[in-house]
Amino acid sequence: MLTDIYEVHKALFEDGAQTVLRAQENRYRVVEILKGNIVSNSRRESKGISARVGKNGLFGFASIAECSDEAAKKVLKAASENVKLLARHVGGNEIILPPSYGTGRVPTNCDIVDTQQKRIIDACRKVDDHIARKYPDLDSRVVYYSEDSQDRIIYTSDACDGHLVTPRCYIYVYMSLKTKDGNPVELFKALGGFGSFDDNFSDVEQYYPDLEELYKKVKDKAEGVYAEAGYKTVVLGGMMGGMLAHEAVGHTVEADLVMGGSVAGPNLGKRVASDLVSLVDFAHTYNGERAPLPVYMDDEGIKAEDAVLIKDGILTGYMNNRETAERYKMKPAGNARGWSFSDEPLIRMRNTCVLPGKNTVEELIESVEDGYYLIDSGNGQADLTGEFMFGVTCGYEIKNGKLGRALLDTTVSGIAFEMLKTVDMVSNEVEWSSSGFCGKKQQMAVGMGGPHMRCKIMIGGR
Amino acid sequence: MNELREVADLFDDILKDKKIEKYNYVLVQSGKQELNVENGEFKLLRTVYDYYTSLKVYKDNKMGSSSGNDLSREALVKLAEDSDSAAQSSPEDPCHDIAPDQGKEVFRQGIYEPDMDKFIERIQECLDTIKKEYPKVLVMAAVGSYDRSHWISRNTNGTEFEDYSGHYSFYINISASEDGVNTGISGAYVEVDNLDKPFMDLGSMRKSLEDISNSIHTKSLDGKFDGTVILTPAAAAQFISMLIVNYISDSVIIDGTSLWLDKVGEQVASDKLTISKKPFDERIVCGERGTQNGFRAEDVTLIDKGVLKTHSLTLYAANKTGRKVVKNTGWDLVIEPGDKSLDDIIKSVDKGLIMGGFSGGQPGPNGEFSGVAKNSFYVENGEVKYAVSETMVNGNLAEIFRNIRDISKELVCDGTSVVPYIAVDGVVISGK
Repeated sequence: MLTDIYEVHKALFEDGAQTVLRAQENRYRVVEILKGNIVSNSRRESKGISARVGKNGLFGFASIAECSDEAAKKVLKAASENVKLLARHVGGNEIILPPSYGTGRVPTNCDIVDTQQKRIIDACRKVDDHIARKYPDLDSRVVYYSEDSQDRIIYTSDACDGHLVTPRCYIYVYMSLKTKDGNPVELFKALGGFGSFDDNFSDVEQYYPDLEELYKKVKDKAEGVYAEAGYKTVVLGGMMGGMLAHEAVGHTVEADLVMGGSVAGPNLGKRVASDLVSLVDFAHTYNGERAPLPVYMDDEGIKAEDAVLIKDGILTGYMNNRETAERYKMKPAGNARGWSFSDEPLIRMRNTCVLPGKNTVEELIESVEDGYYLIDSGNGQADLTGEFMFGVTCGYEIKNGKLGRALLDTTVSGIAFEMLKTVDMVSNEVEWSSSGFCGKKQQMAVGMGGPHMRCKIMIGGR
Repeated sequence: MNELREVADLFDDILKDKKIEKYNYVLVQSGKQELNVENGEFKLLRTVYDYYTSLKVYKDNKMGSSSGNDLSREALVKLAEDSDSAAQSSPEDPCHDIAPDQGKEVFRQGIYEPDMDKFIERIQECLDTIKKEYPKVLVMAAVGSYDRSHWISRNTNGTEFEDYSGHYSFYINISASEDGVNTGISGAYVEVDNLDKPFMDLGSMRKSLEDISNSIHTKSLDGKFDGTVILTPAAAAQFISMLIVNYISDSVIIDGTSLWLDKVGEQVASDKLTISKKPFDERIVCGERGTQNGFRAEDVTLIDKGVLKTHSLTLYAANKTGRKVVKNTGWDLVIEPGDKSLDDIIKSVDKGLIMGGFSGGQPGPNGEFSGVAKNSFYVENGEVKYAVSETMVNGNLAEIFRNIRDISKELVCDGTSVVPYIAVDGVVISGK
């Protein structure tokens, strides 16, 4: 872990400015086995220190790839000079500093345990050998281990201080087969989650049932059909619900995008979904347990709390940094985060989730006469208008309440606040995903989740 | 600047002490000055000083790599130990190798001492022009960045490359509104090594601002039809990137899932299409000089008049599959222009779209794509009718490049690529 030597530098913080000093180390581990060949085998560390100084509505930011006393002094000075330089170009700007939301120290949540590369390779090879032995008819397979863990120390002028650690690691397994026409189809699954290697992969055999399920689905997909294009009744699986929560709604309620004209601006306090839909960006705890990627404090020193975005179908809030919270007269909930030591904090999601309802998954499927069950998505994008697109990598037909043939890759799209009004059944359990990155100038690790939902949606086909 | 050379010499000594006999590495010293604009106003000035170190060790046909951002002796020792340990943990695979001796060369590109005052003035000038000439447009975010790097790479076959480069880049994220109606997000990006011209006159800046201004009031299409899609240069670059990944990149050739596995020398696309990666083209700013594998970079033509000339393989993939290595691991995309104007191409379209962007994922190995047409306009009987929303496009990546109707003579050069408009047939366009 980083050595916490920076408290003394608070004495150097400029009066009348809001200052954050952050030392951070990101570590990455990668092993990739493509059809039995190790094509990637790497370890990377990136560490340094940054300062952000805010004054009169302007910010100066500076970072150096060094964690030392001297580096702390340098970045504080450079950030102050940057804000002064900016002020010279912009002129007088007497914006009142956002208020303090409390000071104190957020306790360290855990430690990062490093693992020898050999153990990572051995675990990946064990998974790969198992797949090769058990599923010899696969056309191709990839086993990809990825770890990206963060360790950060934060000191602020008028908010909280803390030393926080966020380890996560995954093994992604890709399986591909050919259809009878010779066209390859592929599916993947991410195994693992929050924590270090030993937390997730001390016994990789625990994941063999997941591999069996993935293999079955890719076999089904090799016999799959194209979806019929059009506006259809569908059951969205939990992963799709999570993608919807993050991409289609989450981004539109990030306050910087609200300022940029997102559809959430004029809809605050209005109905944007059926009353079965509630959406929360959880900070660190869901249902009494640790959320997939817990955030206890953000990079402005704001102690993290849940941000309730939609309650019973009504848009109730945005995700903010300190400055936008002041603008929209809301309380910041700890959404300002930067990915690496050299990244300034931006408004980012944490664990964004549609809350569960009362029905069972079976009830949802049985209720559809002619439609689709859309289980998994490989990607998704959305616009300021809430127009979204998700790639569907795994799905099935539903005919008379029963699952039919598997689907080949397709896409669904719609306008979020219109589509959410068509949600008329919500399942009673939530599925989470935490392996993804969100891209918004910088990358960011995010969690997303949701229940199954019955709704109407545009589906693409041939 | 001699500091980095001293670090490289120190690193060679450390590797020698560790009895590591075969390796390649790169040491990078970089700096960034970045001006961030929020809602049309200057908001944050960011300075970044960083290092990057990356080492690959080859031992008994085993390879391991490690990287970091610390040039201290202690960190370099750890880097050597980590890479060595990773190599020893790895199974044997003789296909991992380093490039043969490329000699010693120093590259200098772009501008190494920036004029930050002029840069800030150019950014302000662009924002002022947008306010004045495109009043419906909101610059949600804009970032102007000056980036400088100095790197040294060496391998144990004797190669040493040293590179000094610096460039300015500027991008805008824009939306537009009128009467309480808002568009989605659009944007434009340029990269330059001088500040001679206003940003507004470069790349697709003006075209993007015009298009977003005309995209406020959209209509959704009815039904589904097989139509022509004119890909804007931005969308064309997006589809060509997907084409490269899907059919000629390392992983699909190694695992054999590429549908162009045995198509080198054959016609795979329309004879109107020539795709190259040209780091030495004068329109490309700070193109690749040394590849990630340690070769001196070369211009390479991937598809020439529709004929696949080569897969785009790194040294490892080339060794693994017994094919040719391509000495180019950058982007630096150059597409040859056609002979028709964009206006004439539009006039020839019965029914279709001008598509400014594709919101969809990487197609599966079979090339089937499906997604939403973004920043797009409906074209009927040779005329641009209106901006569209909620419009999906479906097709097959290989098929659409076989079905190229026309390529424009107009090219957009943004410093990283040179791309025309490309009109393709056989795309299924569906409305709500």
